[in-house]
Amino acid sequence: MTLPDFALARPDTLEEALALLGDDQVPYCGGTELLLAMKVGLQRPETLVDVKRVPELRGVRSSHGELVIGGASTHDDLSRDALVREVLPLLAEVEAHVGNARVRVQGSIGGNLCFAEPKSDVATTLIALDASVTLQSSSGRRTLLVRDFIVGPYYADKEPGELLIDVRIPLVATRRGAYVKFQVTERPTVGVAVVQDTETGACRVVVGAVGEIPVWRDWASVADIDVEELSSAVDPVEDLTGSERYKRHLTAVFVRRALRDLERSS
Amino acid sequence: MLAEAHLQRITARINGVEVTRTVAARLTLVELLREDLGLTGTKVSCELQVCGVCTVLVDGSPVSSCTYLAIDADGRDVQTVEGLADGEQLHPLQTAFVESMALQCGFCTPGFLMMSKALLDRVPDPSPEQIAKHLDGNICRCTGYEPIIRAVGCAARRLRGEADHE
Amino acid sequence: MSDPSAREDVIGQSVIRRDLLEKVTGAAEYTVDITMPGALHAKIVRSDRAHARILDIDAREALTLPGVVSVITSDDLRGLYPRFGHIIADHCILAIDKVRYYGEPVALVLAETVHEAADAAELVRVTYEDLAAVLDADQALAPGAPLVHEQRYASSDDDSFRLLTGGKGKVATEAAAELSNVAHQVTLEWGDADAALREADIVVESEVHFPMLYAYAMEPYNAVASYSADGLTVISTAQHPYMVRDDLARIFDLPLSRVRVRAPYLGGGYGSKSYTKVEPLAAVGSWVARRPVKLVLDVEESIYTTRADPADVKITSGFTKDGRILVRVIDMVMDSGAYADNSPLVLAKALNRSFGPYRVPTLRATGRSLYTNTAPASSYRGFGAPQGALAGETNLDQAADRLGITSADIRRLNLVDRDEEILPGKRGLDADIKADLEMVLASLNRDAKDVAGYGVGFACTASDAGAYPVSTAQVRVQTDGSVTVLSGSTEMGQGSRSALAQIASHELGIDMSRVQVVQSDTAITPYERTTGASRTTTLVGLALQRACEDARKRVREMAAEIMACDGDEVTDVPGGVSTPGQAFLSYGDVIKAWFGAAAGEVTGVGLVRREGVTEKMPPFWEIGMVGVAVQVDSDTGVVTVDQLVTVADVGFAINPQAVEAQDLGAATQGLGMALYEELVYDGAQLANANVVDYRVPRATDVPAKLDLMIAQRRDGVGPYGAKGAGEGTLNPVGAAVAAAVARATGKWPDRLPLTPERVWTLISDSGSAKE
Repeated sequence: MTLPDFALARPDTLEEALALLGDDQVPYCGGTELLLAMKVGLQRPETLVDVKRVPELRGVRSSHGELVIGGASTHDDLSRDALVREVLPLLAEVEAHVGNARVRVQGSIGGNLCFAEPKSDVATTLIALDASVTLQSSSGRRTLLVRDFIVGPYYADKEPGELLIDVRIPLVATRRGAYVKFQVTERPTVGVAVVQDTETGACRVVVGAVGEIPVWRDWASVADIDVEELSSAVDPVEDLTGSERYKRHLTAVFVRRALRDLERSS
Repeated sequence: MLAEAHLQRITARINGVEVTRTVAARLTLVELLREDLGLTGTKVSCELQVCGVCTVLVDGSPVSSCTYLAIDADGRDVQTVEGLADGEQLHPLQTAFVESMALQCGFCTPGFLMMSKALLDRVPDPSPEQIAKHLDGNICRCTGYEPIIRAVGCAARRLRGEADHE
Repeated sequence: MSDPSAREDVIGQSVIRRDLLEKVTGAAEYTVDITMPGALHAKIVRSDRAHARILDIDAREALTLPGVVSVITSDDLRGLYPRFGHIIADHCILAIDKVRYYGEPVALVLAETVHEAADAAELVRVTYEDLAAVLDADQALAPGAPLVHEQRYASSDDDSFRLLTGGKGKVATEAAAELSNVAHQVTLEWGDADAALREADIVVESEVHFPMLYAYAMEPYNAVASYSADGLTVISTAQHPYMVRDDLARIFDLPLSRVRVRAPYLGGGYGSKSYTKVEPLAAVGSWVARRPVKLVLDVEESIYTTRADPADVKITSGFTKDGRILVRVIDMVMDSGAYADNSPLVLAKALNRSFGPYRVPTLRATGRSLYTNTAPASSYRGFGAPQGALAGETNLDQAADRLGITSADIRRLNLVDRDEEILPGKRGLDADIKADLEMVLASLNRDAKDVAGYGVGFACTASDAGAYPVSTAQVRVQTDGSVTVLSGSTEMGQGSRSALAQIASHELGIDMSRVQVVQSDTAITPYERTTGASRTTTLVGLALQRACEDARKRVREMAAEIMACDGDEVTDVPGGVSTPGQAFLSYGDVIKAWFGAAAGEVTGVGLVRREGVTEKMPPFWEIGMVGVAVQVDSDTGVVTVDQLVTVADVGFAINPQAVEAQDLGAATQGLGMALYEELVYDGAQLANANVVDYRVPRATDVPAKLDLMIAQRRDGVGPYGAKGAGEGTLNPVGAAVAAAVARATGKWPDRLPLTPERVWTLISDSGSAKE
């Protein structure tokens, strides 16, 4: 299983990177999704534009009430980052359980979102946290919510000339959350994120991995959550890990388990 | 601005030795190690980042060298199983693996050793549960894992300078 | 010196395996690490459909790429015998006229580099005309089904294959009379089954499906071959280099002596590297190009090269009202894929192992191995026993429930005693299987929990193991008294190299550090039929003991000549001989004195055939005795293994730590097939021909409690009373887990693996866990 032939560009600045991007010139960061897709013949780009050196894609900072995570930050970086652990321990914990230890070292949060892998723990969690992404191209910059960015399975709302610069998560001091998943193979069968504002009681439940894209619902309080409604709202993809019926059932089980964990969280 | 290229010149420190090569963009790190440098200790199996057989350390972090571009090792420090022992002196992980019979066919072993080293470099006193979780992305078909988990715990104790208590 | 008490410090001790030291440094050499000067790299062009006529293969574009040397198709093999197969020579090296499964090799691209070969393989255009396909057993057996093979092929006339099948009762093993998709069928029968069923107090019927599996030896199949005017040399991942040599000699019409097959360390085998796989492809590549050729498969290609046989088994057992077995009737169908490989023997063994180590006065067992348009199936650790045991053992448990007795008591009542025959006319049981059962029960009960969703299960098997007893070994004693052991058996992780060194060390009275074992090179090491069926310790061990005895005898004769005394005045002592005048002469002293120089050596030869202790088949019975306790999560159906209890009934453990290691490994593979592993065909193609979706056991799956016991009663025919190990403990695991899940849920599963959804369905639906 060899990689097909391609060219590699290693720009040092954002401008250089953006100038290189195109239909057959794709961003390359950790390669945990892209290189595998190329090995099995699903993608054959002419050029990989390595964005790991671009300063705007690196590091984590807090700015104007938001946590700003550079798109090239790896899962391993985020699971251990002192700031993330302090202000968003839920995200740090989710990142500590993505894939395996090598995937966490190589894979980036930006790459994970851009691939829109339906079984992404990260996307499910970020939707619950009301996160957004910053996209930039040579002609400008735009911001959109992760829940709008993930359009379909393996399909994100991103133009070929655009680069995901960072992920922004609003910091809400009164927020608590939980993420639980059911996983038998390499990727989760179902992942459920619950985030609640303890001041208002309002909460959001996001169910990922079951369907082609995560399903989310907002409720005024935990007591209002209709687990049955959620499990019938998901559109399960049948595969080797389960039938539609089983996955609906698992959805209900894991929403309840997520709510139980939420109650236990501080 | 750098021109995109199919071939690039890289310099990496591999098991402490500086190596400069002109490599194809498509060349993976494991291809560089095995085919160009003759470091055949690192093996390949699933080629999809799930079995862990090809694990090497890049700047101390474990990566799947089957899905890691050789070019990305440019300017970095790469450690393979061949660089684990200190001359003739085996690393405590190697000794513990042999003593605990934590390997049989040995094909997965280089990956387990490097993965375990990455753990012990970060967590000197891991619990058996932590060891198992860290090694959950490495497959072994011979041993049933328990001897591996035991060996890593034993090596950790020796690295901390504690006596064996098994 | 065969008295084991003489040097208990070597045998029976958990010595450090020296091969492990090479393996932890990365120095150990595997086939995939080996290249030959000037070697070309090969890439296979594979069929992308299940069954189709090949109309055209266009390699013109591929040949224009830089570095591409040749694109070989079956047309290029004119003058060669274009097929292989040790039982039925049905297996095309490269597809001839038509393809019979998705993934079948159609062409072989040779290029200067791996990348060039891979790029060119994508440009080879094959034009097909699709044919109707049979994709599973039901389709293969349907009236008017398309034929996978429209012709018959040469079958082996070697009587040893027949001797590996059933007992002295009425045994029929044959190809079907008329052309059909039945590749092979076996009947094993004694007594009048229909009459016995009529007389039974109760009759228990059940039906199970055993999954299609992949052994996943982590080193994929690979080989490097060099063909020259002098002959053919192949280095490959072969468990049985001598069997591969036979196939290669037939392909090229070469004398056996001019075909050299060598197998260095194997990165796992578990039976899946038995017999010929990729060696003919690399060899014909070299034959065409007249340069060495290296061929390395990836995991997906390896899965399409050899998988294991799934089985549908119906079993009907009749009992007396107090629980004695009167009769068992078994019908088994195996989906063996497009080519027979070793499936005829797997089928025969599966039948032998389907009714259990019980007193079965009347039996009718029938089996069919079917050709289908899927990847070829062959041996996998346990060799039919896991298939048979799942059916036989769960049927017995269900009978116990019906009879109102415990699963332990029904076994106590029916298990055979020591020396009692399981297969009529074959070797009686060389084990105390009832005592083994009590060991497992005691351990399970000690830590049993009384909580909801908890269940305990156990199962027993006895396998006619050891394969066919043809083994040879040589020892070469050097002038410094060190020893080289030569054996044609293969080291694939099981630890044979170390065990053989222990035996030689003990037999010759020299330190293990002075013994070097050289294995599996047909040009150098003496003949070994196979490395499988847990045979090496027993049969090669015997041959090695005899070789050591022969060497000692030669040394004594030389010493007598030197000392000018009678032969019987010279006696063996550790490391040398004792002579009348001089108390001790080392082996080296004798050799140097006899040759009259600091030079020379003595070679001892040991031979094993069907004679003496190994006259009766099988050479030994391999016991499988396993218990598990599981916790079932009723919300998700997840089964967690809490206890794993095993007994290795090995007669004598030459290296106890190695026996435990083999048992835990075998049991873990058993847990894989019980809970996770199954290849799934989705149309022509597998849905999970990779390790992402074919889920094998992981580090976090290790049971909370492991109790790996060894029963040593010195009752084997091997050295010091040893018998083989390594397969037995896998065989009953599937049945034991099924039983534990049944006890936890109150419902009997009828198929493996017990995936979370299947168990959840079992719990939540009325009726059984059918798909």
